[in-house]
Amino acid sequence: MSEHSADSNVERRRMNRADLATGCVLTILGLAIVYFSWSMPRLEVRGIHPATVPGLVPGLLGLALAICGAVLGIKAWREGRQEEGWRDFLHIFYTAEIGRVLVAAGLALVYSLVLVGLMPFWLATTVFLFFFILAFETWLSSAPKPLLRSAFWALVQAVIVGIVVTLVFEYGFLVRLP
Amino acid sequence: MFEGLWLLGSGIAHFLTWEALFNIAWASLLGIVVGALPGLTATMGVALLVTLTYKMPPDQAILCLMALYVGSIYGGSRSAILLAIPGTPASAATTLDGFPLARAGKAGMAMGIATTSSALGTLVGIVFLALIAPWLAEFALRFGSYEFFWLALFGVLISGRLTSIDNPLKGYIAGILGLLAAMIGMESLHAYQRFTFGISGLGGGIDLIPAMVGAFGFAEILVVMKQRVTPTLVTSNDRVLPRLADITRYWRTTLRSGFVGTIAGIIPGVGEDIGSWASYAAARRKSKEADQFGKGSVEGLVAAETGNSAVIPGAMIPTLTLALPGSAAAAVLIAAMFIHGIRPGPMLMQENPEFLYQIVGILLLSTVAITIFGLSLTKLLVRVLLVPREKLMPVVYVLCVVGSFAITQRMFDVYVMIAFGLIGFVLRQMRYPMAPLVLGIILGELLDINLRRGLHITDGDVSPFFTRPISAVLCTVIVLTLVMSLPTVNRRVTNLFKRLDPQSRTG
Repeated sequence: MSEHSADSNVERRRMNRADLATGCVLTILGLAIVYFSWSMPRLEVRGIHPATVPGLVPGLLGLALAICGAVLGIKAWREGRQEEGWRDFLHIFYTAEIGRVLVAAGLALVYSLVLVGLMPFWLATTVFLFFFILAFETWLSSAPKPLLRSAFWALVQAVIVGIVVTLVFEYGFLVRLP
Repeated sequence: MFEGLWLLGSGIAHFLTWEALFNIAWASLLGIVVGALPGLTATMGVALLVTLTYKMPPDQAILCLMALYVGSIYGGSRSAILLAIPGTPASAATTLDGFPLARAGKAGMAMGIATTSSALGTLVGIVFLALIAPWLAEFALRFGSYEFFWLALFGVLISGRLTSIDNPLKGYIAGILGLLAAMIGMESLHAYQRFTFGISGLGGGIDLIPAMVGAFGFAEILVVMKQRVTPTLVTSNDRVLPRLADITRYWRTTLRSGFVGTIAGIIPGVGEDIGSWASYAAARRKSKEADQFGKGSVEGLVAAETGNSAVIPGAMIPTLTLALPGSAAAAVLIAAMFIHGIRPGPMLMQENPEFLYQIVGILLLSTVAITIFGLSLTKLLVRVLLVPREKLMPVVYVLCVVGSFAITQRMFDVYVMIAFGLIGFVLRQMRYPMAPLVLGIILGELLDINLRRGLHITDGDVSPFFTRPISAVLCTVIVLTLVMSLPTVNRRVTNLFKRLDPQSRTG
């Protein structure tokens, strides 16, 4: 029970620092949007009504975002100023979970930003699937599978999915794949 | 009255063709599978299917999307009962009683009750849809720019308030971010390109479908892959087909939950998860066996499943009559309707009155389909749940990439998907709800255009925004919603109600 409450305390402190940081970012973002909206052309040459300028709504929304960000940040700062929260917050980046997220996101980004376009779509898909399955079945798994067996079945699935998805979309839905 | 019944009959008859029945069958089965698999949500399923149904005739495309929507909200109950993990957020409340029932060797019974409750929930919602929507559409004909401005603002705010996890402020921030995303690209009043920073791809604005695929697909993949532990499956071989007495015993709960779910659906951007939790809470308050809730109560299961399914027809009420999405998936449906040349909004009943009744027909037929599949394909669906996420998630990501790319066939939409996926993941980790963000993207233009058009009509005078009767009501509701979000005010009002209510004083 005490372990549970200690965990929830750490979680609360982490969220507090995350809110403080987000509050600052959102306030700056909101103010930047207000600035860009203010400096947006008012189109006087076209003789439009001054109350219908393009920057009106984005400016108001930017202001609302800045206010909400400031309230979030100030609230987080007042609630957590006595505590040592930054260490807990930064500790998130050293957990196994974040490692899994970074690998999944990294593979996904390499696939869609680098491989697609560099090689035929079916091959890019096959390479992505192969490495994704292999990484999460062996390296990042709590009960890793034998490497060779996992690699063989990952390759089989990757090739089949790569070819089937390409054929279905190119010939079934007539999509010209990248 | 008779005209309505005639339209209803022809709406159902319209889909009694082999082609339509075939489409309903595969789409609702696909929906059940999508819903059952943790990591695949109804919203993402509908968003991806928009791509695949792009070249179909409009009625068949909407039929497939609606059937998938109904199927996936129901399908979420399978993993909630057997894995203790809601397949979609809509089934979170189902887990509370579904999983204890499965552990007690009553998995079959729980699956059967979940199926019939989902079907009955949709039916209750359908009745309200058929009754309320035509009336609301007629009422909405009185709305002008002023009212639509307030409605758009109300939609985003109420969604932010009710879907926020622990802090309403985060709901509002998500909504504002969505509205700001909608400001990117060409505005339609003076054809000026805002916030494009010289990037030509941003000129047309941010498309909803890639943004949704990112926020509900890619972000969800990252959430699923983040967890280290894989859940274990609990199943049993008891009877799935429920007895009539089991279904009728909780008829009061069914009706109440259906009503609560429909109301949750009508409120813009408040989806199945809230409908389910609200009807679960209402059922527990009224139940004679409230102590059993959370320990394997059949009544709790009935309430949760009826509640989330009734949201679907409920959500279609504002979606069709005001073009204000009742849930996140309904936002995708609005985008799909526009793609297929159907214009939801107050004019729908004037321009295309049969469409509303076709939606009723689709919902009825989809309900029949999920009931048949749910009660007969138990073993197959259990096998679906055994697919390991390591093998499934990369395939889903490939579909996210192809799905975002396919509609306009440009890589820019894939980049939008990735950006919204990453932002969505980070926001989710910090407990920001996704529904207001989506609602903001879809309502941004409505809000912007109607505020400026209204000001143009009045020559810059803001008073009609506050003095026209409907505007005044909407404005008051918005102010009250905002004021009630302030913790101090909220606490004081709650204390006041406690003092006024003698029951709570003694209790």
